[in-house]
Amino acid sequence: MHEFSIATGIVDVVREEATDHGADRVESITVAVGEASHVNPEQLETCLTVATEDTIAADATLDIETVEPYGSCSCGWAGRPETSDRALAYAPDLRCPECEARIDLEEGDGCRVMELAVPSEDADETETTP
Amino acid sequence: MIHRTSTTARIDASITRIDAWLDRLVGPLRAHRIGIDQEHGDEGHDHGEGTADILERFARQADALHEELVHDRGLRVVGFVGATGAGKTRLIERLIERTDDRVGVIVGDVAGEDDAERFRALGADVASVATGKECHLDPGLLEDALTEIDLDAIDRLYVENVGNMVCPADFPLGAQARVVVVSATEGDDVIRKHPLLFQAGDLAVINKRDVADAVNADLDRMERDLAAIAPGMDAIRTDAEHEAGIDALASAIDERVEAHSHQDADHDHTPGHDHGHD
Repeated sequence: MHEFSIATGIVDVVREEATDHGADRVESITVAVGEASHVNPEQLETCLTVATEDTIAADATLDIETVEPYGSCSCGWAGRPETSDRALAYAPDLRCPECEARIDLEEGDGCRVMELAVPSEDADETETTP
Repeated sequence: MIHRTSTTARIDASITRIDAWLDRLVGPLRAHRIGIDQEHGDEGHDHGEGTADILERFARQADALHEELVHDRGLRVVGFVGATGAGKTRLIERLIERTDDRVGVIVGDVAGEDDAERFRALGADVASVATGKECHLDPGLLEDALTEIDLDAIDRLYVENVGNMVCPADFPLGAQARVVVVSATEGDDVIRKHPLLFQAGDLAVINKRDVADAVNADLDRMERDLAAIAPGMDAIRTDAEHEAGIDALASAIDERVEAHSHQDADHDHTPGHDHGHD
């Protein structure tokens, strides 16, 4: 399980962003987890609940979305790559279904903080002072 | 029946409308939504700590460690990953015995000082990291552990990860070479069961080759799996207990470390996406 490391990373991002916006409390956090990222969304949610304890995000609602993998190839093919039936995870060796070349994912292999909500009275203070 | 369903549907629709109306009315007053700039973490961006992709953040921390240890200090940094009982500790002991370099070792274990004591007995400067609830070393834990080692007094740093074949794959640690250790006793399907770790590595070791027959493990099959999963990755067969294959491993590691140094000199290295940056 490595979701706790990920969760503490998320708390760092949340803390930085909230501070940048002058907020001392976070109401919600939206995280996008790629299906090919090997981060388990359910475990991440549990870990985030623990990792946010005693932080400005202690009471935040957690919204964890999943993102389908998407890749493209120099031959012009683009789409959702095939999963491997041999491994639980995505085929480690992703190949273009058209030309068999190795492809890298453009989406769906990351774990990103997408959005946070902070109380507007906190945010307004900084937004009016550039 | 039909009547009741449509009434329920109408009520649901009304509730949805009321919710939407409340959201419009109350939402903007109550909360301010901050979208996180997803471009922020893209390659070439200088702010190592500022990226929204969490995995990328760890990769950047690892790159910063690599920069410090390898480029600023000129250390040779080699990471070892693999299951508990694969023989990582014994292999590192054998490598320490054979080198003239002054060696530092960072040992990650869930608990205890057992491995650390073994390395100290060989004269290495050792820092152990009890990871507790974590099953892998991450760059932050490594950085903390490095403060316990006199980096000016070593030439080479070995990092022994926690015995685990899943989690370390996502956490590069800034080494020039990452060695993935498996043993014949783990079953000859162990490589195909853990493709990601091998993809994240630079060199494979198939240890305990001496007992392969006894446990009915087909080492050729393991190498075929490796070739399919991580094409071009070398496999060294060792028997660390009886000191066989260690010289071949030592030179394969040094070759990899050298190749890495040339890579770094040739290219402006790409943060986060270079498998070589363990």
